[in-house]
Amino acid sequence: MEIKKMSRREFLVKSAQCAACAAAIASIPPIAGANEHAGVTPDLILANGSPGPAVKSAVEAIGGMNRFLKPGARVVIKPNMSFANPPEWATTTHPDVVAELTSMCVKAGASSVLVLDNPLRNIEMCLEKSGIRGACSAFDKAEAYGVKDRGFFQEVAIKEGKALNTTMIMKKVLEADLLIAAPVAKSHSSTGVSLSMKGMMGLVYDRRTFHMDMDLDTAIVDLCTVLKPALTIIDASRILSDSGPGGPGKVVALNKIIASTDFVAADALAVEIGTWYGKKFKAAQVKHIRMAHERGLGNMDISSLRIKEVNAG
Amino acid sequence: MRFQRIIQIPLFIVFVLLILLASHPVPEYLEVDVFLRLDPLISLGSMAATRAFIPKAALALLVLLCALLLGRIFCGYICPMGATIDFADKLLLRKKPEENSPERDGAYRHFKYLFLAGLAGSAVLGISWVFFFSPLSLATRFFSLVVQPVIMLFGNFLLDAARPLLIHVGLDHLAMVHWAMPRYNTNMFVAFFVFGILSFGLIRPRFWCRNLCPAGAIVALFSMRPFFRRTVSDQCSRCGRCARECPMGAISESFTLTSYSECVACLRCREICPEKAISFKWSGNPDSAKAAVNLSRRKILKAGAVGMAGAAVTMTGLKHLHGGEEPRPLKSSNLIRPPGALPEVEFQARCVRCGECSKACPTNTLQPVWLVAGISGLFSPCVTPRIGGCEQECNLCGRVCPTGAIRPIDIQEKIFAKIGTARIIKSRCIAWEQDRKCLICDEICPYNAITSRLAADHPVTVPVIDEKRCNGCGYCENKCPVEGESAIVVESAGEIRLSKGSYRKEAERLGLIFHSEAGQEDHVFEDPQKTLPPGFEESR
Repeated sequence: MEIKKMSRREFLVKSAQCAACAAAIASIPPIAGANEHAGVTPDLILANGSPGPAVKSAVEAIGGMNRFLKPGARVVIKPNMSFANPPEWATTTHPDVVAELTSMCVKAGASSVLVLDNPLRNIEMCLEKSGIRGACSAFDKAEAYGVKDRGFFQEVAIKEGKALNTTMIMKKVLEADLLIAAPVAKSHSSTGVSLSMKGMMGLVYDRRTFHMDMDLDTAIVDLCTVLKPALTIIDASRILSDSGPGGPGKVVALNKIIASTDFVAADALAVEIGTWYGKKFKAAQVKHIRMAHERGLGNMDISSLRIKEVNAG
Repeated sequence: MRFQRIIQIPLFIVFVLLILLASHPVPEYLEVDVFLRLDPLISLGSMAATRAFIPKAALALLVLLCALLLGRIFCGYICPMGATIDFADKLLLRKKPEENSPERDGAYRHFKYLFLAGLAGSAVLGISWVFFFSPLSLATRFFSLVVQPVIMLFGNFLLDAARPLLIHVGLDHLAMVHWAMPRYNTNMFVAFFVFGILSFGLIRPRFWCRNLCPAGAIVALFSMRPFFRRTVSDQCSRCGRCARECPMGAISESFTLTSYSECVACLRCREICPEKAISFKWSGNPDSAKAAVNLSRRKILKAGAVGMAGAAVTMTGLKHLHGGEEPRPLKSSNLIRPPGALPEVEFQARCVRCGECSKACPTNTLQPVWLVAGISGLFSPCVTPRIGGCEQECNLCGRVCPTGAIRPIDIQEKIFAKIGTARIIKSRCIAWEQDRKCLICDEICPYNAITSRLAADHPVTVPVIDEKRCNGCGYCENKCPVEGESAIVVESAGEIRLSKGSYRKEAERLGLIFHSEAGQEDHVFEDPQKTLPPGFEESR
């Protein structure tokens, strides 16, 4: 009998996949269909209020940060900080969202919180203008980094990839115990919207090939088979309704934060609560969300999910 | 430590630190170009060539005032090129030269005045060659464009090698550091030029400062008989040690006379005199000055004429001012000047090619050019979009420019200082030519100048540029995924070059639409054939 040797890389990917599966299984609610049933964790939280407090309420409503991390855990938060624009442009995650998430992770006992992205524009200016470096500065254990050098990435095989079979992902993400997606909700001229799934491209070394050599939407879903955040927080305090992802475009204030353990569901809800180019859309009209649903990465069917609305004090 | 070094070394360190600090974000209170503005050649040369008083560069007049009182202390204490030469001399010179006095080592001393006269001659025609000779321009260029990237390269090697160790000992923050190493065009030439100057040290100490430096010549003209100067008392035993050791060869063979125009007041002679006969004090012996050079008016005029002729030749060159001021077929369309750059004639006359703007530029897009702008445009800065875009909210190049060749405009004005216009090369564009879905230029454009539209005979949306919105920042060219040359290029056409006045007003006059504020609903999405915005599908 031939025994196939497993490389360290494969081992890491497999472990990550197992962990993701375990987390997914753990997150399956015991009773389905009972809306806001006492003691049952909802699938989606929609928190109203200003960004910081709404994040706090949303995370508490979904079970608190302790549900996601054990003391000593290494956390990576993936916001959007690809553009050197101020928060008002809605092209980057609101700094209060990052600050609140960081604070909750630290309180839950995280040993380190890294806020990571591979920005399109100049790293320093992105960190400064977005306000995200400032958001982390209050915490000794947290730091925001723009990561571009190849040495910080590691090649990962994508077994379930239909177009993308291998890519280079940030080592710090592969090493992390918890990955939190924290995108801002915005339009995207190529993929309709840019939310948590599209945001995973910011953890990749070379995304040029996504655009050049393959169907972008398929490649995003392929990537999401290996990068599944255990917690997704979507910043819909204000959304970039058109001219995304770089802006400047029409910014619509929604004063909402979405939280979920299912990133497909979170993205789907963000599509449906938002107005895009002056119109309303169904989640299924966004190709990469529909494909992720079809491939079993999550559930975009909002009507079948338990949604709990909370108001931040 | 010797008194000179106590002043010179810290000032040199400050000079290097200011170069390092000339990167985003430069604090408002910090004037990183202060050393450049102290160089009298940069100051007077730029003012002469542009026939304008440049307040920013007037700082050098203080140096000349000091020269009247204290002699060439600029050369001995302040000039970082002088410090570099002193250091190189220490490495290069094994023994002191035999012939070191103004009488015996006088063959080349007048060259610096001739260079100065030549520069003055070309300045008459409005051409500035200051950048070739200015010690501060040379030193700044050398340390920022040559030394800094090399240090970063080795720093990254070290950081990469030490990373496992850094993580092990808990220096997590340092373990995440990897410098974005800048690269600069012409760096090899700059290195050779400076090494050439330093290698003159094999012949004489401070060979450049004695014989060639025209900035030194200006200071020398003001130091013929400074108030504070070398005086020798009767105790002199005529041992001659001072004359042999003088790094400038300023002490005459009589040992009591001094060429003050050559003396940099380093105090070496006073320190080594075994009889303690030498002092530097107010109003010494009125007859203690020894002329260092015997320069005829004829030689000066000849040098001036040569300078003028050189300027005339460059002005008649094909590539002068990169093809001319007004739109002409010979204009180099890919020579994009930084935002706020003066009109080309003034710009070339004022720019001293110090490289400070290239150093400060956070995206490395500002590169010194070779001969694309003519010989007089050598090393002048050019936006090179394939390396990086011009950041919308950055005005560092203008803020660090010592002569105002790039105007120090604020961010709100800068957004209106259009530097060029993008143009799509359809034959290279994968959307236009290969029907592939690609919207990266649209995605990245910070000014919303590019939209993706349906066009006849094209199954995918294709990028279209709205020239009225294009600022020329070059991010589209930078991010275009096509290998090698970009399918969308920025050309200088449409650039706004103003010597004074508001860019905003000019842009408004021209009907340009730039904005830097969110919330303006002006996305061009009118598509009668298609009702869905980009990226959305029909509902099933």
